[in-house]
Amino acid sequence: MSKEVMKDLREKLKGKIIDIVQPRKKRIYIRVEPKKAPEVIEYLFFKYKCKFCTATGMDIREGIEIIYHLAREDKNMVINVKTLVPYPNLEIKSIGKKIPAFRWVEREINEMLGVTFIGHPDMRRLLLADSFPKGKYPLRKDFKHSDVNDEDYDYERSGL
Amino acid sequence: MDVLKKAFKKSIWVFHLSTAGCNNCDIEVLELLTPRYDVERFGIKLVGSPRHADALLVCGAVNAHAKPRLLEVYRQTPKPCLVVAFGSCGCSSGIFRDSYSIVGPVDKVLREEDPDVKIVYIPGCPPKPEAMIEGIVMGLGAI
Repeated sequence: MSKEVMKDLREKLKGKIIDIVQPRKKRIYIRVEPKKAPEVIEYLFFKYKCKFCTATGMDIREGIEIIYHLAREDKNMVINVKTLVPYPNLEIKSIGKKIPAFRWVEREINEMLGVTFIGHPDMRRLLLADSFPKGKYPLRKDFKHSDVNDEDYDYERSGL
Repeated sequence: MDVLKKAFKKSIWVFHLSTAGCNNCDIEVLELLTPRYDVERFGIKLVGSPRHADALLVCGAVNAHAKPRLLEVYRQTPKPCLVVAFGSCGCSSGIFRDSYSIVGPVDKVLREEDPDVKIVYIPGCPPKPEAMIEGIVMGLGAI
């Protein structure tokens, strides 16, 4: 059954993806260019009956790698769409514009790793304190605790 | 001031404040109110407003979001007041010390506002109920 999915996806997504591999029986990795990522995910979500689980971002030095985790429940499969947003221009088109479930996780990736999601309707902070200094991204590899001192906090913005 | 000190020796009313703690300490505080320890027999009681409190019980390493709130609650508490830095995190930030959102343990944050603040440290993760009672009693002795 999983081979059918692979074959099907290879045909449908031809030209939009860099490569597609199946490391285990129930898992498929798809690697895409950041520009093509919204298109591929919207196809998987709307046309291919995939459900959105979550998205994760990680600093891998060359850029921020964002992985969108989608699940196809009737086939018992997890499909991971990986995309690498290279430094220094961390920009990617927002998927939350069309699919609201992506909005919160995009906000989190934005504040923690500094990726700008173009077209996101509500790009406020989600988890970090409002007083946390702007332009510092705590989950990047080059971030140190000593980068943020008490003077950098702007307590005027903390809502009290 | 002597009247205040005399009044302070009896029936300590405590305001319990959690500043980004993990809730472990907050749950242990409830154990003090169970029949086994029953601190209300000493007149120690949790109150709903810092304006009624003699002591602040602060649990958790203070993060950036909680810091202005902790200071505001401290300002509202009538002086003299006792601050209890509760648990390992309250005493020293504990394992969260190098986290990006932590701005310091309770004493560091409060000394910015008031250098003479009276702080009792009760370490432990969470502290034993006996330790909590002893801590409060020691704090009263110090005042």
